[in-house]
Amino acid sequence: MFWQMLIGALVRQRRRMFMIALTVALGTSLTTAMLNVMLDVGDKVNRELKAYGANITVVPKAASVLRDLYGIEANSGASAQYLAEADLGKLKTIFWAHNIVTFAPFLETKAVLGQGSDEVVLVGTWFDRSLELPTGEVAETGIKPLKSWWQVEGDWVQDNDSEGAMIGSQLAGKLGLKTGDDLDITVAGGEGKERLKIRGIVNSGSAEDDQVFVPLSVAQKAMNLAGKVGRVEVSAITTPENELARRAAHNPKSLSLKEWETWYCTAYVSAIAYQIEEAVGGSRAKPIRQVAESEGVILQKTQLLMLLITVLSLIGSALGISNLLIAGVMERSKEIGLLKALGATDAVILWQNLAEAVTTGIMGGAIGYFCGLGFAQMIGRSVFGSAVAINTMVIPLVIVLVILVILAGSIPAVRMLLSLRPAEVLHGR
Amino acid sequence: MTKYSMYSKMIIHALLRRRSRMIVALLAIAVGATVLSGLITIYYDVPRQMGREFRSYGANLVFIPAGSSQALAEQDIDRAAGLLPRDKVIGIAPYLYERVKVNEQPIMAAGTKFQEVKKVSPYWQIRGKWPAEKSSGVVIGQEVAEFLKVEPGQSITLAAGDGTEQKVTVEGIVRTGGNEENFVFVDLPLLQKMLKKEGQISVGQVSIMATEAELAALSKNVETQVTGVSPRLVKRVTQSEGMVLGKLQALVYLVTIIILLLTLICAATTMMAVVTERRKEIGLKKALGAENRSIILEFLGEGLALGGLGGIIGTVLGFFFAQAVSINVFGRAIDFQPFIALVAFVVSITVSGVACMIPVKIATDVEPAIVLRGE
Repeated sequence: MFWQMLIGALVRQRRRMFMIALTVALGTSLTTAMLNVMLDVGDKVNRELKAYGANITVVPKAASVLRDLYGIEANSGASAQYLAEADLGKLKTIFWAHNIVTFAPFLETKAVLGQGSDEVVLVGTWFDRSLELPTGEVAETGIKPLKSWWQVEGDWVQDNDSEGAMIGSQLAGKLGLKTGDDLDITVAGGEGKERLKIRGIVNSGSAEDDQVFVPLSVAQKAMNLAGKVGRVEVSAITTPENELARRAAHNPKSLSLKEWETWYCTAYVSAIAYQIEEAVGGSRAKPIRQVAESEGVILQKTQLLMLLITVLSLIGSALGISNLLIAGVMERSKEIGLLKALGATDAVILWQNLAEAVTTGIMGGAIGYFCGLGFAQMIGRSVFGSAVAINTMVIPLVIVLVILVILAGSIPAVRMLLSLRPAEVLHGR
Repeated sequence: MTKYSMYSKMIIHALLRRRSRMIVALLAIAVGATVLSGLITIYYDVPRQMGREFRSYGANLVFIPAGSSQALAEQDIDRAAGLLPRDKVIGIAPYLYERVKVNEQPIMAAGTKFQEVKKVSPYWQIRGKWPAEKSSGVVIGQEVAEFLKVEPGQSITLAAGDGTEQKVTVEGIVRTGGNEENFVFVDLPLLQKMLKKEGQISVGQVSIMATEAELAALSKNVETQVTGVSPRLVKRVTQSEGMVLGKLQALVYLVTIIILLLTLICAATTMMAVVTERRKEIGLKKALGAENRSIILEFLGEGLALGGLGGIIGTVLGFFFAQAVSINVFGRAIDFQPFIALVAFVVSITVSGVACMIPVKIATDVEPAIVLRGE
């Protein structure tokens, strides 16, 4: 009898039930979309913030002070002053390897261009290189992905192009050079002259505009430093720093074992730097505060903003659903009055109504969930150009929320229902 | 006149007599309007607020000496600063660079104003404290500190090229992960006096809230009006900011649109449900000889009244919501935007009007007998 009444009610009041299902579906799709976007927005924005370039620099342990302070270039091949190029692949083997977006090695020296011009900085680097890792994966590395704000007139140099060079826009302007010109380079202290061709002109709006960029192998040959690298810039996705991370950055040994584990297994910039030091022998990894700190600030703000917007939309849809349920009960007050007059108990009427609401709600919710996924993907695709990760955690969350909202939304409706007096309702007041 | 007073009486009574139902409908519209006005306010305000947050990346405009000269005059910088919009400038930090001897070791010294550095480069991590203004306290880079083995509180001796010596106290040690770690930072007038370079600086770093295009216009203006100063954009900061900020705006924009759409449909369905319930009333009126037009007008009046009231409530609530978000996320209050309030008000009236018209239209198109029989 219960089932018959339930099905009967659902079929007979198609229109009303359709409305409830529609509202629940709308609410659910909103919830699903917002929760999915909110949970993924940190990662997405973090990737966008990689536009600011490296947030960690790796330098050789011994060289950092000497070279920076005195400008000394020890060309004697003292190995402690350089990192090994062969070690670079190890960057992608650390615990947080997946968080390392890209990196590029640099080997700098002073050089003279042409006939007795001023000394300029010659930088050997990887431009755009697919590095094969020991694990068999391929990592995109080099300055092209790392320095996304560079404007290049002409072409990027190929890494296997032993004659190619790129030159900063300021320097090019000063010397009157343009793409396609030849460039004679004499490395400071070296005797050999290298003849290179300018493939492109770089406009970066910083000191790089006064530098010359060549493939790493060319610089290594000119400086007689085969397989050596002076510095590596790493761009990594990190978690905003907290008190623990700050303490660890000063001295990791000051942490208790448990704290240390937490720190080590969280993608703090200091933890990633620490792991890089472990992986690459004789290196020192320093977080670049300008990038790392600002990233943290912006990420936290964005996440908080999205969280608050999500909460607002949840409250909005909850109120919407519960509102509609109340309207539904009002509409049927006569029918309920009749049931009561015929001797139905409150419990029976209650069950009847809740069952109706939940059945419609579940149907609406299921449809809404998939619509919500669609909305989330739409946002991800059009804003970030990549799909939003579908978080399975959202499913139980949405189910619980929908049922809670329907039940909570029914409370005023149920109270109204129980207080209905058959005679009054049937009389039409 | 009597026609209108009858009309308004009917509407007011219809609303009052059916209190509980009308509260339900009013609530639905008010929720919609709250979301609407709150989200539009946030959407409008986010770029400004976020732009300020992005200033934590430091200077986005630098003043360097024009032509082949090595130094800038301080008054030129002040003149250039006068050309920038005052309320947008976060800070202008002058730097004078010169190699000096610290404890007999050659190290780069930078003279600057610490108050401005704090604003322009908020990412500096200082161990110890910032020196007071016009004191002989200095901040040294982490690398220098390790090299010289000094701690905050100890004193060091600075010596200029001509042998002038000055004893200073290390107040703080700065970590940035960048070049700053190799410098000794001294109060600007002190270094100028030591080097006998009064009124001279090497670079001016400016942090200003502006898009790349605005910055380009500003720097062009400075370049033509102040000779001797060559402004340059810090491309890495300006370009990346434009990119990321654009994405964030697009995100909030899309989210706003989707939420608005769904919330408004939600409000409309509730409104429709409330009106559908009164089909019998419509049938009865028709049976008594009422014209379709007058029935529609009456319901429209009710809908508009509800929409207006709900719109006002929602606009006010929405403003408070946006205010709460802004204070929680960005720590700053926002101004009331009359235009947004107006939009929210108009949209809620329109939505409730349309939402109650649909069921009324359906009911008036049906024969009264069928409606009254309850089918």
